[in-house]
Amino acid sequence: MGTPTLIATLDKVSYMYPRSPEPVLKDISLEIYKGEFLGVIGPTGAGKTTLCLTLNGIVPQFFGGRFFGHATVVGLDTLDHPISTLARHVGTVFEDPETQITATSVENEIAFALENLKVPREEIRARIPRVLEAVRLEGTEKKHPHELSGGQKQRLAIAAALALQPELLVLDEPTSQLDPVGAQEVFATVRELNRELGVTIVMASHAAEEMAEYADRLILLAHGALVKTGTPDELYNAVAYLEANDLRPPQVASTFSLINKAGRAVPKIPVRLEEGLQTLAAWRQKAQLHVQPPTAFPRPRIPSGEPLLSVKDLHHIYSNGTHALAGVSLDIHKGEYVLIIGQNGAGKSTLVKHFLRLLEPTQGRVLVGGVDTRTLTVGELAQRIGYVTQNPDNQIFNATVWDEVTFALKNLKYPREEVVARATESLEAMGLLAERDQHPLALPKGDRARVVIAAILAMRPEIIIFDEPTTGQDYRGAKYILEISRKLHASGKTVIVITHHLYLMPEYAERVIVMGKGTILLDAPIRQAYHEIELLNSTYLTPPQAVFLARALGDRHTYPLLTPREVAACVAGQPIEGEI
Amino acid sequence: MSTLTLQTVERDSFFTHLDFRPKLFMMATITIVAFVWENPVMECLLTLAVMLACLAVGVKFSYIRKLVVIMLPFDILLIVTQGFFAEALIRSRTGQTALTPLFTFPAHWFWVGGASMSVEGVAYAMNVVFKTLTMTLVIPLGIFTTDVNTMIVGMVQARIPYKLAFIFSSTLRFFPLLFEEIQSIIEAQRLRGLAFETMGPVKRVRVYAKVAVPLILGAMVKSQMLEVVLQSKAFSGSPDRTYLHESRLGVGDYILFAFFALFFVAAIVAYFGWGIGRFGKPVFINWF
Repeated sequence: MGTPTLIATLDKVSYMYPRSPEPVLKDISLEIYKGEFLGVIGPTGAGKTTLCLTLNGIVPQFFGGRFFGHATVVGLDTLDHPISTLARHVGTVFEDPETQITATSVENEIAFALENLKVPREEIRARIPRVLEAVRLEGTEKKHPHELSGGQKQRLAIAAALALQPELLVLDEPTSQLDPVGAQEVFATVRELNRELGVTIVMASHAAEEMAEYADRLILLAHGALVKTGTPDELYNAVAYLEANDLRPPQVASTFSLINKAGRAVPKIPVRLEEGLQTLAAWRQKAQLHVQPPTAFPRPRIPSGEPLLSVKDLHHIYSNGTHALAGVSLDIHKGEYVLIIGQNGAGKSTLVKHFLRLLEPTQGRVLVGGVDTRTLTVGELAQRIGYVTQNPDNQIFNATVWDEVTFALKNLKYPREEVVARATESLEAMGLLAERDQHPLALPKGDRARVVIAAILAMRPEIIIFDEPTTGQDYRGAKYILEISRKLHASGKTVIVITHHLYLMPEYAERVIVMGKGTILLDAPIRQAYHEIELLNSTYLTPPQAVFLARALGDRHTYPLLTPREVAACVAGQPIEGEI
Repeated sequence: MSTLTLQTVERDSFFTHLDFRPKLFMMATITIVAFVWENPVMECLLTLAVMLACLAVGVKFSYIRKLVVIMLPFDILLIVTQGFFAEALIRSRTGQTALTPLFTFPAHWFWVGGASMSVEGVAYAMNVVFKTLTMTLVIPLGIFTTDVNTMIVGMVQARIPYKLAFIFSSTLRFFPLLFEEIQSIIEAQRLRGLAFETMGPVKRVRVYAKVAVPLILGAMVKSQMLEVVLQSKAFSGSPDRTYLHESRLGVGDYILFAFFALFFVAAIVAYFGWGIGRFGKPVFINWF
């Protein structure tokens, strides 16, 4: 093998945005080689986006600020060459599929950068079908980007970047806003470009399992500094180190690390599922796998009595003719923790919006506490059902945290003393009382979500719905919100969560509703639902790696394990507490 | 709650295939003529013609209705103010010394007693109502029937600076996103007990005012993100660039140009030469 060719270098790069009090990048030195797939990992605020923007010169040329050190791409110093020159060599794909597409047709989106670089019309026409083929979007030239799914939009963004024939393709969390199908499409496309066309990839992502699978090398950023570099095996092996940096290792690595800790020596911690399964198979072959069958799990609670929420033969057809719900019936009882999953367009959000009368049934009924929602206003329903959406910023519209939390209570004409008592109580519960006079939008994103939850809690609803609370959040942020949901559940609230991140939910949810094409495909306790792999795959969902490992444990039995801890305990011969 | 957003017509007609330049010319001509004319009957005919053209090319009737409904409060205000207070204006236009009363409030009524609404005032207000309606309807007629990319190429070829054309097209692209954001903010407010269903117009305006803060902040974040995206795509706003599409004028385009050039000349000559289109002229279509 010859010496790898350098494609980009960062030499002691430090950077401060114009008004930031401290450097966002600190003394980073890095070499990126031609044809490699370099993964950038780190918690929110670690400097991943800034690093990506340094590679195309936008940092510091567009933002200004103070830049130290040198960054070069294909030998061009990013300070000495205009962004438009660097754009010929560095293609960039951003996180939000909506904002980064600027044109109103697929072909125009691809052509835009080429037009700016004065590429002749005939050449542009020749490149469009080539790049669309590379991202498997052939035949969509004339489509409006609105007609594409989230994953297709991101692939279009990749195609537009590829059309420039860049030496380096930089992707900044391209899958964080996507459902599992979309994320799968994007990873598959990027891998193909890297392996088959030899495009050099730099990708920042929180998707640990996929990064372990596809990246050749990883760098770990923390507080703006490059703290670790290595292969996925080297980095994801260091499970304790990653967890200390608020990062989530792949579940297979966590599982074998726990097995190791429990006293069963694992010479090499596998970081890819296939390797984990092979290790288990090898142990079994050598008769070294002595599984302690799980004898005990809490028996799922069988709800009884009148349901708190009841949906009867619900249909919803949107004005454009989309049949979003087709005969959904279900009951949710007081005190349940329900997880609703399914790919985008499965009908999850449409369903929960009916609970609040934000949508009206085309056919069927929704009953809250036995009362038909058609007889209640949105405001009345909101007092019983709190709804937290994905983006807290769209739910904030007051000038102080206090005004935000008291907004609903004042609308609902509560006496002044009651308003003060309730608002104080919810702010205390969310740990935000000290911030009561601050502007909500001046708080960090996690705190803004808590402001919204506090405002909803002030109405003392019986049911709280979290709609995609973990999308766009890093591991720490996602866990933070889910811990709030756990506390609410423990205090007797009924909790409904919609999320694509199945690996986060075993510690929280009791019941899973799997939706597909506007219908309920499965309604079962989580230990059963997560092991219905074929059914989940049919709606493009993949269970967490721990489920696959659990299924590899038994010859004849399927153990209903869900988490790395449970699988590790089983393999290490330790009992799992509880009762079946 | 429904909102008015920009859209593209679904009907594939002769008009949708035309170049944007003759459409721009058409929009400019109709707007100028509507602005110059003051005769309510002629303004009404122009409005009807534009409205029929809109329907013919595929602009949805529900959209037109929504536009009319949105403008209705302003129109009513206009009719009331002009009906009661346009005396000096009418005198300057027609030289009339006395206006024709439509009705008069009884003299003993408090504050408004003796006030008279004039036929001429109402007629003048109707002229303004139709004028604004024509100017509003001509936008969907020209814009909704043109693909944004064709629009940019057409505008650039019409010597409109590329930067301006790009801002215009970006606005069209981001308009629906902005409306989605407004919807989701109002939805969030309803979820905090805001009874939008039973709210009066004044309170609604106050609610909309509250939407402005998160909306502007959101738009600022989005615009910075957009700018970063544009930079990464080598956008500089320079007209020195190539275009994927080219715009060539066809027979239909020349016919449209010729038709509206003739219409414009005829309208202006008739107006300044014989006073046709002035308030109260010609007498044979003077209905008051």
